[in-house]
Amino acid sequence: MIVPFSHVFILAAAVFFIGLACVLARRNLIMILIGIEIMMNAAAIAFVGGALHWGRLDGQAFVLFILGVAATEVAVGLALVVAAHRVTGSVDPDRYNLLRR
Amino acid sequence: MISPLLKEFGFAATAITLGMPFASFVVITLFTRAHPRLSAGLSISAVSISMLSALSLLFRLWPLEKPLEYSTLWYGGHDFSLFFGFLLDPSSLLMFSLVAVICLLVQVYSLGYMEGDPGFSRYYAFQSLFAWAMLSLAVSTSLLQLYIFWEVVGLCSYLLIGFWYERFSATQAGKKAFVMTRLGDASFFVGVLLLLVHLGDLSIMELNDASTAARLSPGFLTLCVLLVFGGIIGKSAQFPLMTWLPDAMEGPTPVSALLHSATMVAAGVFLFVRLFPFFSRSETAMTVCLTVGTISMLMASTMAMVDRDIKKVWAYSTISQLGYMVMGLAAGSSFAGYFHLTTHALFKALLFLCSGVWIHYFETNDMYEIARKNGRSLKTPLVCTVLAAASLSGLPPLAGFFSKETILASLLDRPDPIWFAAALLGVFMTAYYAFRPVFIILFPRNLDPQDEEHRGGAPYLAMALPLLVLAGLTLGIGWFERSLESFLGMAPPGEHAWLTPVSVSVAFLGVFLTWFEFGRRTAPQMGFVERIRPLKTFFLRRWFLDDLYAFLLKQVVYRLLARSFTQNDQRVIDGGIEGIARLAVGSGRICSYIQSGLLRLNLMVMLLVVVLMGLYFFLL
Repeated sequence: MIVPFSHVFILAAAVFFIGLACVLARRNLIMILIGIEIMMNAAAIAFVGGALHWGRLDGQAFVLFILGVAATEVAVGLALVVAAHRVTGSVDPDRYNLLRR
Repeated sequence: MISPLLKEFGFAATAITLGMPFASFVVITLFTRAHPRLSAGLSISAVSISMLSALSLLFRLWPLEKPLEYSTLWYGGHDFSLFFGFLLDPSSLLMFSLVAVICLLVQVYSLGYMEGDPGFSRYYAFQSLFAWAMLSLAVSTSLLQLYIFWEVVGLCSYLLIGFWYERFSATQAGKKAFVMTRLGDASFFVGVLLLLVHLGDLSIMELNDASTAARLSPGFLTLCVLLVFGGIIGKSAQFPLMTWLPDAMEGPTPVSALLHSATMVAAGVFLFVRLFPFFSRSETAMTVCLTVGTISMLMASTMAMVDRDIKKVWAYSTISQLGYMVMGLAAGSSFAGYFHLTTHALFKALLFLCSGVWIHYFETNDMYEIARKNGRSLKTPLVCTVLAAASLSGLPPLAGFFSKETILASLLDRPDPIWFAAALLGVFMTAYYAFRPVFIILFPRNLDPQDEEHRGGAPYLAMALPLLVLAGLTLGIGWFERSLESFLGMAPPGEHAWLTPVSVSVAFLGVFLTWFEFGRRTAPQMGFVERIRPLKTFFLRRWFLDDLYAFLLKQVVYRLLARSFTQNDQRVIDGGIEGIARLAVGSGRICSYIQSGLLRLNLMVMLLVVVLMGLYFFLL
């Protein structure tokens, strides 16, 4: 293995925090969804790295599941975004405070 | 010892007697409603088989020393057990045969009376149902089973009173009868439940056992007896639940004869006979029963003295005779009450069926109308009515004479003479009101005969035959007093030498007064009571009992109970639920202050918590 195992994890952590920052900082729902996707990809990187390190295929198999889940999550998430946009006329999550009023 | 063969015969005969009318009820309701003649034939043949098997049972088991009991455990726990089955003892066997015979006669009579009625099949279905329920009531082995059939006959009574449901008054009368008897039944049921809880067994033999009553404290025993007696008051139309019976005359006349004079209303007295040893253990309760019987007897007699409706007169007379039975029983002689029940069933059914013939032909209940339309031209009912009225008044040698004699004797056995005096007054009034319709119809004023072309023929024959049979029984049954007494095994009341002349002369005095006022050639045909207008109104309005009920209903039930229940419903129940709802809404409002509505803030808090948890778990 050319790339050291720790580097893979550092990369995964970096991608995860980038995604997290995206989720927390952006005021657009679609961007938040993308941030979540990025965080999931970070998890996938960690899995692949782990699989390579220990020489077992379980991690790689898991990545396939993560991809599937991510695809469905985006589909459902985007549908929800459309619905929310229809109700409030905006994609800013801070405006979604009907219960509060 | 009873041989096993006899025991098997007893079971089979009872089962056939009960099964036939029920089967006929089911078949008529399900299949033959569209064929009136077939339905009537089915019902009558079923009840004939019942009668034959009931009579054969009576004669095969005649000198019955030990009661036959067939019972099976229906439901039981460790502290109580309920048995269902048949109990064949002398008193139930006699009632069994009596009911079967009168049911058959009335059903044959109905062939003529109900001819051409649109509800002919329905009528016979109800008649079969009644026959089944009443016969089952007679042989019930436990108080609960008896109560069930007690309610079924109540249902039949309701259905048959309101048989002509197109008539508003008939449905009203049916409802009144149902509700008023239900009032008594509620008290009966509470009594039954109390007994069940405290004794754990409701079989009649067990209740009548001396050791059973000893297990109850005297006060509790009195309470139970009085609660059960409440059921008797309702069913047998005693004071104060008496006014449903005259209204029940809205039903067809054969129904009045069968249910509301001969058998169903006598079920109350029959229950008294069944539980007589149990009842007689509470002296206080017996005194209450005696009082109630006396009051009902006197009140109903006065009402019967003024009414012009011939059926209502007999209805009042039924109440008063039931009062006599209760008096005889409560005075301590079960034989007196039961013997009078038997004879009364026969002659009162006869009276009703006779007046039914007139009502059928002249289409009026008013005795003056019947007289004016030449009612006396119908010879069979006229002769039978005279016979039955004489029997009702207690004139020798008819059935009523013997049975009334035993009741008077049992009242004389008591130390205080007031009851006997009241009964003697009742004898006088009975003779008066019994012969009033007789003389009015026998000696009509301003005759206005109807054309007679539709008289005679088959329906008349169907109606006349049962009359003759009943008249024969009324003439004959009195002579069997001694043998019935030994069969029933009940102690007769004491002998009083001067009783017979006194009571017979009092009865004759009553008849003579009626003759003086209604019978003789120049008689005004107006009773001495009717001359005093307020008294007449008072008796005609039934001592204002109905007004009293209306008042109580309005003031107590509607004003007090209904209003407080409405308040309870609105304030307590609705208020409570609304309070809970308000609490939930309020707490939701308070909790909503925690909710910021900012998605990113929520996420940040979530992240913070996860990070802190991670720190806690991995670093500490």
